[in-house]
Amino acid sequence: MAVNVADLDLRGVSEGLGRRELSSVEATEAYLRRIATHDGVLRAYITVTGDTALAQAKEADTEIGRGRRRGPLHGVPIALKDLIAVAGVKMTSGSQVLADHVPARDAFITRRLKDAGAVLLGKLAMHEWAFGRPVTDGPFPTGRNPWDVRRAPAGSSSGSAVAAAAGLCAGALGSDTGGSIRGPAAMTGLVGHKPTYGLVSRSGVLALSWSLDHVGPMTRGVWDSAVMLQAIAGADPDDTSTRHATTQDYVQHLEDGARGLRLGLLKRYYVDFPGLNDEVRGAALTAFDALRKEGATIEDVDAPSLDLALAAWAPIMSEAYEYHAETIRKTPEKFREGLRTRIYLSALFTAQDVQRAQRLRARIGREVDALLSRVDALIFPGQAAPALKFEDFPTTGFAPASIRYTAPWNLLGLPAAVVPCGFSREGLPVSIQIVGRRFDDATVLRIARAYERVTDWHRRRPDPARWTL
Amino acid sequence: MKTMDDRRAQFDAECRSAGLTLGARDYDLLYDMWLDWLPERDRLRATMPEPEDEPWR
Repeated sequence: MAVNVADLDLRGVSEGLGRRELSSVEATEAYLRRIATHDGVLRAYITVTGDTALAQAKEADTEIGRGRRRGPLHGVPIALKDLIAVAGVKMTSGSQVLADHVPARDAFITRRLKDAGAVLLGKLAMHEWAFGRPVTDGPFPTGRNPWDVRRAPAGSSSGSAVAAAAGLCAGALGSDTGGSIRGPAAMTGLVGHKPTYGLVSRSGVLALSWSLDHVGPMTRGVWDSAVMLQAIAGADPDDTSTRHATTQDYVQHLEDGARGLRLGLLKRYYVDFPGLNDEVRGAALTAFDALRKEGATIEDVDAPSLDLALAAWAPIMSEAYEYHAETIRKTPEKFREGLRTRIYLSALFTAQDVQRAQRLRARIGREVDALLSRVDALIFPGQAAPALKFEDFPTTGFAPASIRYTAPWNLLGLPAAVVPCGFSREGLPVSIQIVGRRFDDATVLRIARAYERVTDWHRRRPDPARWTL
Repeated sequence: MKTMDDRRAQFDAECRSAGLTLGARDYDLLYDMWLDWLPERDRLRATMPEPEDEPWR
């Protein structure tokens, strides 16, 4: 094995396996060594399933050796956020409540990944119940950002971001209720794709807020996310929200480029927002110029009702109160105070607030759908600012500037992806975001790839020599 | 214009209505967070939906 597995993206690992330059066991062993060396500092994993992973890798090598490669994920080592069930493997959701919980059944998407031949390296760190804040102590500390270990990768899919960005797996799955895939992906220089609501099953995935939760890939490259999405997308009888799931070939049109595409830049709401970091704004505008040079037409567009998006998102998050109310009343000590407060806040919305929010959600959706009838996708900066130091996160509340860039798209259930577009002066990744039409995830990924292929941001790697405290 | 005492009384009433019994630390943290979020909630309550704004499905 001449290749350095940790430097490869998922595509590199997959193609290495396809060309027999690399075996699945070699790749799995390389990741396990890297986890053993660096995860003490990076804290990406809650559980490493080394023995099972090696057994899966041996089986994959045997099948591939017989000329029966199932597809691009066969033999590829990946990892899952610790709220996605893997039968017989502890699933904690980063919570004391579930510290010893071992599910008996795989989640639907776990089965899909196993059927695709993926090797599961383990379960990844996350904010408590996907709703807590970054923490540095306790049994479930937040992963450290591999671009600067003093900084958090945001959340809640912190371990997924850290593992994929640091080369502790070839790709990861995260979940996203207000930005928990796209935020951490943006902070660590990854592609993060929140699929259309109802495209990917949530059965066997612990809930935060049923109508806002999405599961999707976090990877170094766009192709990587496309093949992971291909494996997990599709209707599941156990998740009624997927009954209208319309799948596409997410890889076929990746290289079609941006020529002829019409893109709407949400300038007023996002680019002109005073809370947007200047370096992020500058890098994003440069990225949009690159898409223009690739043949896309870009026009400024606006949906005035987006101003109501955060006001509508918060009451709908009261789904989280309904989920946790009984447990938090009986065992409040098993919830950290930052999470407890967020859950209690949800109890203070009235029934009318929730219904008002649902009606405004419909209004925002109509306005945005009207925009998307004129353009193929919406574009804007992927985050308000680069990664923060752990101590700079708010103690309890939400960070409105941050969720502004992500939560409206959970509210509307539209496909949304971040793709890296540069680095701040401090060497921290920054991103753009692309939002598409419902169930047209393929176009979102195509635009992301059209940008990615004319840049080299996705080829940059954090330096392991700096992973010290 | 509401005074801080009015706000505190409103918060206490909402906590009672929601059946929340809080320790001192949680009470203080929740009050601060509730105050932070109040402008968004006020904006929600001040926005009248149109007849065609049926709840999201």
